[in-house]
Amino acid sequence: MKNLLIKTHEVWLETLMASFMSSSVESRQVLNDFSDILFRHFGWIEEKLVEQKVEYDYNREPIPIKVDSLVVIVNNIIERLGTMELMLPFVEDEALRFRLQTDWDYIKYKLATLEDEVVTAFSGKRTYKDLQLSSEATDALTLFLFEESYKEYELIMIYNYLKAHSSDDYLNKIFQILVDESFFHLKSFGEMMAQMGILGVPRVVHSSLYQVEDVAEFLKDGIDEEIAAKEQCKELSDAVVKEAEELAKFFDFINYQENYHIALMENALKHFKSKGSV
Amino acid sequence: MIGIDDEIVAHMSNPNNYGRIEDADSIGIGENPQNGEKVIIYINVQKQEESLIISEIAFEAIACMTTVVAGSIITQEAAGLTFEKAGELIAVTLGMLEQVDPEQAACSEMVAVALKAAIDGYILSQEEGEKKTLIYKIEQSCNPETAFNSQEEK
Repeated sequence: MKNLLIKTHEVWLETLMASFMSSSVESRQVLNDFSDILFRHFGWIEEKLVEQKVEYDYNREPIPIKVDSLVVIVNNIIERLGTMELMLPFVEDEALRFRLQTDWDYIKYKLATLEDEVVTAFSGKRTYKDLQLSSEATDALTLFLFEESYKEYELIMIYNYLKAHSSDDYLNKIFQILVDESFFHLKSFGEMMAQMGILGVPRVVHSSLYQVEDVAEFLKDGIDEEIAAKEQCKELSDAVVKEAEELAKFFDFINYQENYHIALMENALKHFKSKGSV
Repeated sequence: MIGIDDEIVAHMSNPNNYGRIEDADSIGIGENPQNGEKVIIYINVQKQEESLIISEIAFEAIACMTTVVAGSIITQEAAGLTFEKAGELIAVTLGMLEQVDPEQAACSEMVAVALKAAIDGYILSQEEGEKKTLIYKIEQSCNPETAFNSQEEK
């Protein structure tokens, strides 16, 4: 089961990255929906590991995604799912085993029908749409996208882990909202990176970041980080506002969304302090 | 901010040697005491005649992207080096810190001292017969006004 968790993590991320690199609206949607399903599988498998008190972490192998055509990565996803089928006999829960098998069967079938397309997500051109940015603004945007796409992935993994190890319904509701919010940000940044030809898989998150010993301290630090992220968005928005109004508005939007995240984390902190545990 | 070209983008999107080595011969940690950022370097060591060689190296960064880039570059250079040559690489890296901006200096120093901690830790482990993980704190600061000197061993 531990190995299945790792392989599900890898295939989820690979499918998500494939969705970013597709320029066909239909294929992008299919891949994105499947990546959501695979992430839910990841959660179910993790739930079983927690129930069985098995120690695990979110370590995984590097995921090569640099392809010239979509069919290459799609075939690789199909192949991965085929290999994962060999692990199904080790899933004791019959209902879970059936869900995984039937979902994978359909995912493989549907993926095999996707139209091939040329992938430009690794061209390195570093231009976004037809916007003319100065080299300084382009560098700032590039660094921001790499930093923040990792950060959003990190937050997904942290809140997912906290949720898996918490039995508090109120906190879990907040953790789930924060996971969903980070998914939206990761999708926005990932698609932008693909359009700029600089797509990359976020690096592995170190276990000390999600195997949190002091949840209150973690939430306090998280609020400070969100405040810093707001400032970064504002700086970026200011840097590009003259050259690219669309981008400036997008970073203002992200900035204002952080207010909601801060409010959620403050609520979680207040609730946690009143209960004293997760 | 670091200047960004194709090579830097390659390091950011696919950093060399990122990850960990299970049951590594030695682990060294470089830490920024101001913000808790860390670099963890894992090495496997081979003995060849009189020399000790870094046969395998990996790193993890709980830090910003500039540190990841520094880790990718420095570990790539350190792979396959003797301890003596790796020591020279560390000295050169630390000697160049004044020429780069404070953020970049702190990031590069964190990687260099983590590598030094891994090497020193290996030597200490051989002397004492048990594995030692050393933590070296950096002297540079992302914010030069608050820079201070500190180094500790665990």
